[in-house]
Amino acid sequence: MALYNFKKIMVVPTAKDFIDLTLSKTQRKTPTVIHKHYQIHRIRHFYMRKIKFTQQNYHDRLSQILTDFPKLDDIHPFYADLMNVLYDKDHYKLALGQINIAKNLIDNVAKDYVRLMKYGDSLYRCKQLKRAALGRMCTILKRQKQSLEYLEQVRQHLSRLPTIDPNTRTLLLCGYPNVGKSSFINKVTRADVEVQPYAFTTKSLFVGHMDYRYLRWQVVDTPGILDHPLEERNTIEMQAITALAHLRAAVLYVMDVSEQCGHTLSQQLELFNNIRPLFANKPLIVMANKCDVRKISELSEENQKVFTDLTAEGILVIETSSLTEEGVMQVKAEACDRLLAHRVDTKMKTKKVHDVLNRLHLAVPTKRDQKNRPPFIPEGALLRRKAMETNAPKRKLERDLEVELGDDYTLDLQKYWDLMNPEEKQDKIPEIWEGHNIADYIDPEIMKRLEDLEQEEELRAKAGEYDSEEESEDEEMKEIRQLASQIREKRKLKVLASKEKDTQGSRMPRTAKKVERATLEKEMADLGLDMTDKDDSHYARRSRSLVRKRKREVSAPPTSRTRSQSASRPPRDQSGVRDAKVVPAGKITAVQGCSRVPGEEEQTEISSMLKKVKTMMKNSQKDMNKQGRKGESDRHVFDVKPKHLFAGKRKSGSTSRR
Amino acid sequence: MRIEKCYFCSAPVYPGHGMMFVRNDCKVFRFCRSKCHKNFKKKRNPRKTRWTKAFRKSAGKELTLDNSLEFEKRRNIPVKYNRELWSKTVEAMKKVESIKNKRQARFILNRLKSGKELEKAAAISEVKKNIHLIRAPHAGQAKQLEDKMVQKLAEDVEMDE
Repeated sequence: MALYNFKKIMVVPTAKDFIDLTLSKTQRKTPTVIHKHYQIHRIRHFYMRKIKFTQQNYHDRLSQILTDFPKLDDIHPFYADLMNVLYDKDHYKLALGQINIAKNLIDNVAKDYVRLMKYGDSLYRCKQLKRAALGRMCTILKRQKQSLEYLEQVRQHLSRLPTIDPNTRTLLLCGYPNVGKSSFINKVTRADVEVQPYAFTTKSLFVGHMDYRYLRWQVVDTPGILDHPLEERNTIEMQAITALAHLRAAVLYVMDVSEQCGHTLSQQLELFNNIRPLFANKPLIVMANKCDVRKISELSEENQKVFTDLTAEGILVIETSSLTEEGVMQVKAEACDRLLAHRVDTKMKTKKVHDVLNRLHLAVPTKRDQKNRPPFIPEGALLRRKAMETNAPKRKLERDLEVELGDDYTLDLQKYWDLMNPEEKQDKIPEIWEGHNIADYIDPEIMKRLEDLEQEEELRAKAGEYDSEEESEDEEMKEIRQLASQIREKRKLKVLASKEKDTQGSRMPRTAKKVERATLEKEMADLGLDMTDKDDSHYARRSRSLVRKRKREVSAPPTSRTRSQSASRPPRDQSGVRDAKVVPAGKITAVQGCSRVPGEEEQTEISSMLKKVKTMMKNSQKDMNKQGRKGESDRHVFDVKPKHLFAGKRKSGSTSRR
Repeated sequence: MRIEKCYFCSAPVYPGHGMMFVRNDCKVFRFCRSKCHKNFKKKRNPRKTRWTKAFRKSAGKELTLDNSLEFEKRRNIPVKYNRELWSKTVEAMKKVESIKNKRQARFILNRLKSGKELEKAAAISEVKKNIHLIRAPHAGQAKQLEDKMVQKLAEDVEMDE
């Protein structure tokens, strides 16, 4: 009997899904690349593999379904009957049979086509064969659509069935609908069955578990049974009947004394008598439920007679109320005891009993002599037992203190310390002073050592170690220091000045720059020399007396003809000038750049055109002069590739300047 | 709670500061800041890194052997708390601290003393060699001559009289 396999049945896919699944698997798991120029045996093998693969998949899955679903003949008759009631035995068997047939058909198809593949002589033919094979297999499966759907539903329902162990101790509740069976099971076990005022609230079997006498008991709640013949019963009632029929349990027939269920007591009695045959060989208890509403003693005479009749037959009747829990425990106890007794009885009657009985043996020691030997307990043990039983606590625990103080409680471990002076226990101990750990200085002999140290210090102070030495420097030394600092300063300035020099530029001789008299006199004064009234000194006087410039005399006309011709022609820079020069006669002034001492020569008027000519000449020469070229034709480049433009990396900056 | 010493620079590491590194041989290294930690990771020797106390002590720049330094020592034998002892210790600590500082300062001062002599000698030689930068050789000589001449004249006049 496989109880838990009902939950472990694999999902039954729908026909469409099944086909899709298998075909896609074939596509993925078998090689896909084939060309027609391959050798024929390779092509054949390729397609045969596909057919076989598909067949294998179908076969496996269908086999799994067939094995997963329980065979109605192999399982406990209770479950077999239950499944018959719920799913119809015939339909179930038929469905599984169809699946089996389909499996065989698929196998045959595959076998045939694999055989045919031998005669495929081209890629096209082989491919068609494979296509046909797979197509046929899928069609077979398509025809099983109904079976597969039915099986899936069966599987889902099966997995939700309550796990009832048919062999263990069980209490079965039965009766009309709405009498209080589900309320009872809710009270007695941890089951949470729906309780509602309408009939057939419970539509299937429910199981609850409870403990009694250290044993596990199942309590099975059934849907209500109505009073009509077996053939007319519907599925729900049939479940209850099945349970009654197959489970070896103690039966608790629940009757509603207050007739709130909608049926009279006589009707309930009728039902009881009708299903009496099912109670054969089962301990029976009748529960007169809803006694909080109406007690048996409050009933009419006839109805009371019902109950007295029952008791007369030997059936135990107990008044219960699921609401007030009156009698519930009593019922439980009674039912369980009776069932246990019944089970023991049954076991005793079977053949297996003797195996068990043979193993049981109570050993009793034989008496050696007539001396009486009662059990002996030493006194110390008795005393200790007595001491253990007293409730006085031995000492006050921290926990007790915590509870006592509540919020004010602080864990103070310092009170357990073992110090020389116990009143110091609550001291706050300093640990750090000014960056030093006090623990590093703690030493029982510290005072002695400190004394020694202080003495030593005194001696040192006396010896004059700590006297500050005043530098008794004399005046001379002070002056020397001052001079030295001045010298250093002056040197630094000189060094700085020399660093500012341009070492790579052109060097002019010293005489190129005129030395100013004022700077010379200042420098010398800084050095300490007396520079007052030095007008007479050699540097203040002119080295050469001022010489007036010798005027250019009109020279004698040249003697030779060529010279005279050249002399009579106007000079080149005046040849094109139209204005005549306004010049006093007899003087040819030299206007080419000669340094004239200002204020010594007479001003000569220069014609305006000549002026213009001069400025034009100067302008045209400007660029040339600025670039340092000798003349127009001078195209000499001093530095073709200046290093600062061609060296280095291309850092930030544009390349147009490269 | 303890103030530890940085392994690299021997600075005090207060609680909540610095890093601790535990090596596989269970030796613990504490660092006061990431500078020391990084130097350690670069495998630098603190005895050769000039700014650490380890270097200064090993190179003789600071006081190493002294009685006042023996007071602060990690003792492995715990002493039970005793209020009197603790208060006395705190007092003693203060005194020891002052003595220690005095001695350390004196040590450094003495070390720098020889420098002063060198300084003096350097000043004298400097002046001797480079006096010409600030004083012309004949500075004041003209005046001196003049004074002499005046003096001579005065003498002559006196002689005449």
